[in-house]
Amino acid sequence: MTEHTAERPLSHAPSTPSGPANLADILERVLDKGIVIAGDIKIDLLDIELLTIRLRLFVSSVETAKKAGINWWETDPALSTRAHRDAVEDENKRLRQRVAELEAGGPHEEEGPAEAGGESGRGRRRDAGWDESRSHSWHHVKEGQRR
Amino acid sequence: MTQTVRGSGPEPETSPTATTSSPAARSATYVYAVCQGCDPEVFAGLPGQAPGTPVRLLRFGALEAVVQDVPAASFGEEALRERLGDRAELERCARAHHAVIAAAAATAPTLPLPLATLYLGDGRARAALSADASRFLGALRRIAGRVEWGVKVYASGEVRRGPGTDRSTPVPGTPGGVAGPGKPRGVADPGTPGGVAGPGTPGGTAAPVAGAARDSAARPGHAYLERLRGVRQERERRQEAGLGAAEAVDRALGGLAVASRRLRSHDTAATGGRGPQVLNAAYLVAEGRRDEVAEAVRAVRERPECRGVEVELTGPWVPYSFVDSGESDARG
Repeated sequence: MTEHTAERPLSHAPSTPSGPANLADILERVLDKGIVIAGDIKIDLLDIELLTIRLRLFVSSVETAKKAGINWWETDPALSTRAHRDAVEDENKRLRQRVAELEAGGPHEEEGPAEAGGESGRGRRRDAGWDESRSHSWHHVKEGQRR
Repeated sequence: MTQTVRGSGPEPETSPTATTSSPAARSATYVYAVCQGCDPEVFAGLPGQAPGTPVRLLRFGALEAVVQDVPAASFGEEALRERLGDRAELERCARAHHAVIAAAAATAPTLPLPLATLYLGDGRARAALSADASRFLGALRRIAGRVEWGVKVYASGEVRRGPGTDRSTPVPGTPGGVAGPGKPRGVADPGTPGGVAGPGTPGGTAAPVAGAARDSAARPGHAYLERLRGVRQERERRQEAGLGAAEAVDRALGGLAVASRRLRSHDTAATGGRGPQVLNAAYLVAEGRRDEVAEAVRAVRERPECRGVEVELTGPWVPYSFVDSGESDARG
């Protein structure tokens, strides 16, 4: 199989096997991935991302994520430079929503006080359990680089 | 921005505005990708971002960029912001960009650039690209002979792991499946086979709703709290099930991959009526292991953790998610 690959290094068909690729799959790759070099014409894809991706395609609110029972939709700052720029904005948004929830005495009121005390801007980590896997993934990347 | 061209080989540098052959008054150079040993024939017939203008190769040093002349007027800052803010136009541009990259990758190791990387001319593009040549070479080494597979896991909209829920479709009008353990009287037993009607209630399927309504009327506060508790328990169960499945899938695919990355989960609005996405990951896998990837996904679908979740495999992709590892310098 390896020889196969060596013989035909050019053989990978890069779209999905089953029909045209899903738009969200393409967008997250062409907007957010790829090797970044500075162009002459400055187009802030972050704007586009905020407009179209955050609002329409990706999990955009704490409420949605809670409904989905997930909370690591956050971009991992270790994995994307753009994520650094997003991080503060996201954090603000999350905190605002959390405050609104607490003020409204929402569904999570029982957990409220403890969380509000220990939160200090990190409420999303509460039931994460995903950081481990994330660093795990990251090690994979590092390993990949070394080879 | 003055750039010195270092180590870009013996090729003479063209003047910064070397696009005189273009019929458009002014054109810009749109760069799709950087590759090594690409066959320009594969771009024949591809519209790219400017139908009518060929997608071509721009050589710099040992590498080449896949480029196209595009009308500067539609690719200025303002014009782009406006166009890409429009969903249909964004989709067209994104798919066109992807199609060119996919075509290139079919013939050579290819590093995709993000959508809308633009220069005022070939000379400027070559200067910028040449300055980053060593980074490109490092990244090309990393991805050569490898492809990206995307794996997404969707939690089920309904939870099947709860005890005694033969049919887990919630009764309309009782969100979150109020029937937690020890639910007080007035609500039909959720475990009733077929769930048609509670004992002694000839009202058919409407009975549970009526029962719940009566209960709420009698003790609205209590019913409210019960419902909240039910919603939360439901969410916790679903989260647990989803996370378990996501971990199982990640383990299975991670074993085949030389690198893996988590991508952001898509909103349910974009997942076409499926459950919430609990995993969206990309795996960099040696080319030619397609069957093993498919088999791993098939096997993991059978695992108990993955009962009730949907596992979706996409690919092979050009390794979009692995070309710009961490920070900008992928030292060679």
